[in-house]
Amino acid sequence: MTETGGTTPPATPDASEGAAAGDGTTAPGGTGRLGPPSWLALVFLLPALLFLGAYLVYPILFSAYRSLWDASGTEFVGLDNYLKMFTTPSTFVALRNNVIWVVVAPIVVTIAGLIFAVLTERIRWSTAFKIVIFMPMAISFLASGVIFRLVYEQDPERGLANAVITTVQDTVSAAAAYPDANPRPGAPLAEASGGGYESTEEVSPGETVFLPLVGVQADELPEGAEPAAEAAVGGQDELTGTVWLDFTRGGGGEEGAMDPEELGLPGLEVQAVRDGEVVATAFTENDGTFLLEDVGGGQYTIRLAADNFTEPYRGVTWLGPTLITPAIIGAYLWVWAGFAMVLIAAGLAAIPREALEAARVDGATEWQVFRRVTVPLLSPVLLVVFVTLMIYVLKIFDLVLVIAPGSVQADANVLALQMWRVSFGGGNDQGMGSALAVFLLVLVVPAMIFQIRRFRQESQ
Amino acid sequence: MSEHRWNSRGAIAVAAAGALVASACSPGAGPTGGGELGGVELTVAGKWTGVEQEGFEAVLASFEEETGASVSYESTGEDTGAYLGPKIEAGEPPDVAVLPQPGLVDEYAEQDALVPLEGEAATTLDEQYTDYWRDLGSVGDETYGVLIKAAHKSLIWYRPGAFDEAGVAAPETWDELTDTTSGTLSDAGITPFAMCGASGWTLTDWFENVYLSEAGPESYDQLAGGELSWTDESVVQTLETLAEIWDEGGMMAGGQSGAVQTDFPTCVTQVYGQEDAAMVFEGDFVSAPAAEAGATVGEDAIAFPFPAVGEEPPVVVAGDIAVAMTEDEGVQELLAYLASADAQSVWAEQGGYLSANSEVTADAYEDEFTQELAQTILDAGENVRYDLSDQVPSAFGATEGAGMWAILQDFLRDPSDPEGTAEELEQAAPES
Amino acid sequence: MTTPHGEYEGAPRRTAVSRVVGFLGSSIVQVLLVCIGLFWLMPTLGLFVTSLRSPQDNAASGWWTTLQEPAQLTLENYASLLDNPSFVASFFNTILITVPSTLIIVAIASLAAYAFAWLEFPGRDWLFLLVVGLLVVPLQVALIPIAQIYGGAGIYGSILGVVLFHVGFGLPFAIFLLRNFFAAIPRDLLEAARMDGGKEHTIFRRVILPLGGPAIASLTIFQFLWVWNDLLVALVFADAQAQPMTVALQSEMRQFGANLDVISAGAFLSMVVPLVVFFAFQRYFVQGVMAGSVK
Repeated sequence: MTETGGTTPPATPDASEGAAAGDGTTAPGGTGRLGPPSWLALVFLLPALLFLGAYLVYPILFSAYRSLWDASGTEFVGLDNYLKMFTTPSTFVALRNNVIWVVVAPIVVTIAGLIFAVLTERIRWSTAFKIVIFMPMAISFLASGVIFRLVYEQDPERGLANAVITTVQDTVSAAAAYPDANPRPGAPLAEASGGGYESTEEVSPGETVFLPLVGVQADELPEGAEPAAEAAVGGQDELTGTVWLDFTRGGGGEEGAMDPEELGLPGLEVQAVRDGEVVATAFTENDGTFLLEDVGGGQYTIRLAADNFTEPYRGVTWLGPTLITPAIIGAYLWVWAGFAMVLIAAGLAAIPREALEAARVDGATEWQVFRRVTVPLLSPVLLVVFVTLMIYVLKIFDLVLVIAPGSVQADANVLALQMWRVSFGGGNDQGMGSALAVFLLVLVVPAMIFQIRRFRQESQ
Repeated sequence: MSEHRWNSRGAIAVAAAGALVASACSPGAGPTGGGELGGVELTVAGKWTGVEQEGFEAVLASFEEETGASVSYESTGEDTGAYLGPKIEAGEPPDVAVLPQPGLVDEYAEQDALVPLEGEAATTLDEQYTDYWRDLGSVGDETYGVLIKAAHKSLIWYRPGAFDEAGVAAPETWDELTDTTSGTLSDAGITPFAMCGASGWTLTDWFENVYLSEAGPESYDQLAGGELSWTDESVVQTLETLAEIWDEGGMMAGGQSGAVQTDFPTCVTQVYGQEDAAMVFEGDFVSAPAAEAGATVGEDAIAFPFPAVGEEPPVVVAGDIAVAMTEDEGVQELLAYLASADAQSVWAEQGGYLSANSEVTADAYEDEFTQELAQTILDAGENVRYDLSDQVPSAFGATEGAGMWAILQDFLRDPSDPEGTAEELEQAAPES
Repeated sequence: MTTPHGEYEGAPRRTAVSRVVGFLGSSIVQVLLVCIGLFWLMPTLGLFVTSLRSPQDNAASGWWTTLQEPAQLTLENYASLLDNPSFVASFFNTILITVPSTLIIVAIASLAAYAFAWLEFPGRDWLFLLVVGLLVVPLQVALIPIAQIYGGAGIYGSILGVVLFHVGFGLPFAIFLLRNFFAAIPRDLLEAARMDGGKEHTIFRRVILPLGGPAIASLTIFQFLWVWNDLLVALVFADAQAQPMTVALQSEMRQFGANLDVISAGAFLSMVVPLVVFFAFQRYFVQGVMAGSVK
């Protein structure tokens, strides 16, 4: 991301680079002929040791101790808090979500980082791209949360994600004109089996049917709608009728009758159905009348096709109980992909060109080179990225608190959030809070061991 | 008590206007010395800021004028409990605290942090308030608090334009509301309700109103006091009644899943700004967001009383309770003054205020609408009840994502199983 | 993927084909990356444009409609936010928390890192391994114990408490980063200085600090942004008077829709400083973040 385009920190012997580091980290030898006395070291170290003791060592011990006591700290309860942790439904949801987070988020982010790093390798403007992807790392989770709360807004007129999805959907199937319309109660219309509505009585050619609908606001009718008119009686092989909005503005109209102010419903698809087969189709005029031609003799039901009433697609409920965790993981990816990308790109740059060339000379395809040479050489870096992400994911807090709306906070819960909630955000049970904190600590112990071992290897 | 979030938020919007008033009525403007409490200094803590603070400080100023004491007000911020806790622990509480929920009165009384009402303060409470209010501020045999400011939570706000278009009038019973009013609105193509489902407290308010009217004040008190199980038939019945509206996606803007994601006061905007719906249920404080959405309160934003589900229409009230936290000189006098009809009439003139004192008459209020609200409280007399979710421990009644809020939100999403919901409420309710 | 070297090393008849494939592949990759880049920018742009629209416009339509009606844009949200004393106070609180804690961390950690890198004392390696182990300790562990200590000391709720907490939890990483860098300083330089009879504090000032500049810069930038962006620590330890911007904004989130004007403008303002720091010092910041892997 720097002017050199290289992402390896030039001077810093960087601990994050599994392969490259190791040179400078070896402590100076133990001769120390000219070295100052040990007590001087203590002077240099003292402030740091005080802070580390007060803010890390003591709290770990105290939390472990405190977790064995009840909410108020007066009664010794042994391991009860830990038992409760696994049996309380709300904590259990947090635990389950944390598992989802730890399994999914690091993999997704690492893969995205790998893809970005590989794709940018031979692009001239890769620096610009990397800056764009890395930028979210600089801003707070709170701001990122606000950003994604906006993206995930349910209403497609406001939320970007749903706006995109519904636009795509609408080009596939256009929205219907009368999604909310339904028959006037008492009208001779019933819901049809395949959607839409059909007349409850059968009619023969030459007859006329009047079908009253309600539930449409007069202002929302298509332009050109005219006052409803009674359809003229048709010929021997014709069926006629009127579909109209049986509601007088301001009330007062007679139910089932075409009152003077009531309008026809234009553009409705009307079908004549015999024995389940659609025999004829017509669309209503501006005054609501329709004419079904060329029907033979016999009895027909008149159906208002389902297409007229298709509900518009409202998009995905991102912030609902089912999708909330994947949605927040999406935001997490947005924040962290840059981190994975930069580290992996540094690893890629460190891979010796000769190894790749040798494989190519042997006739390997690019994919084979990638699979057999690049990825294995990269695996130490990938592991570091993965473990780092896992540690951060375990502690995920802000994003969940900010993105999940109040009504789904319980469904989106994670351990760190539950810990805060239980001990500070209203719960006031510091025994349980301490138990959760200790549990979180236990979960990062493997990472701690990984970290120490890696450091010692590099030091040797 | 999250509805007050709105108030403090609204306060930001009008902060500039408030600043003008501030100079006129800030503490210290009154004469010092003189009066029987000359030289006495008192502190009062409450969560009001902005305009609300100005109104209250006007009352304090008139107390200063009458007695010569000097009173300073400090704002506790949104979470009064979190503000007072450390102060009590450190032994430096304010002389008088205004608590936003009765649960805190119980809590502090148990910690011996409160001083019982004495003398004129106690007499005023006895004589000018109904027994219910006295009991609300009492723990055991001692009376500690007096409700000095009330919020009316039994109102349904509507858009007259929508009612005119559909040709309907304000309903008087629940059946009229669900059948005639909502049915006709739907026929006219107008969505009847905007729901504020993302703000859990609005759902508890729905429940409380229906329950109070349907099951009666006695059951209401028993349920609040933990003497009645949440699995009681009356609770299931209320949930079934609620489902008559909540179970109909077409009844509310955005359907049920949209409603659960709509917070207060966005739901108010849906009615008055976007005109996506005709009615929204909530308390008198809807007037502020309605006005911000561009409606003129009283003309194109009007409320009707929550209709009767059972025999009587419900009147649910929330509000702020003043308590004494020290035995210093002048504390009881200040509480007596705050409880009095005189002080509250001063407050009423400032606007944005409702009293629970039976002797504050309706004409003390500036505008007709507030007068009507006050009248419904006075008329309901002994049957007025305090917001139930604020009487139970906040972990059950007022916590985001837990207890009543979360369970009723789930019920709004899927109201098909009232018994199951009642069972969940019972499990979440604190053991008593 | 292009195969620039395969072209002449492969069979000659493949040259033309692979050149075309290479060209196409490279164009496809370029287009893809442009799309991904836009995709990454879009959400932030959305927040920015939202913050420049009135609450009414935001309630009625999406921010992208501004493309058709640029007249919607207004600075009103920002004006009212800057008129709001409590938000302005929270902005200053953020600075009052961030600047001191960054400076204290850098000071204490440089001293300790020097000791770990260049001074001899018994148990040094083990002590440093302990620091490495403490790197990953979740700060949740310290919330309750420290809250109790603060309660006793009377600094619960104060800015001082928040600052000290950040110092405590920032130290392991800070020491780790600086120690590795200091240890890489050529031994000869130090030996020479010591030969000249330099006292340790002079060597520290004259040799280590100047040579350690880049690492100290990385640490400063990283800690500055880390503390600036913190929500949890301040949420627990800061009261209403001490709260930084993140906490002030978080308290508005409960009514996200209704407070969107405040939230969007506030969130964007809170991002301005980090973004400026990021663009100005991105090299150092990236180094700091990378050194922080497996923190």
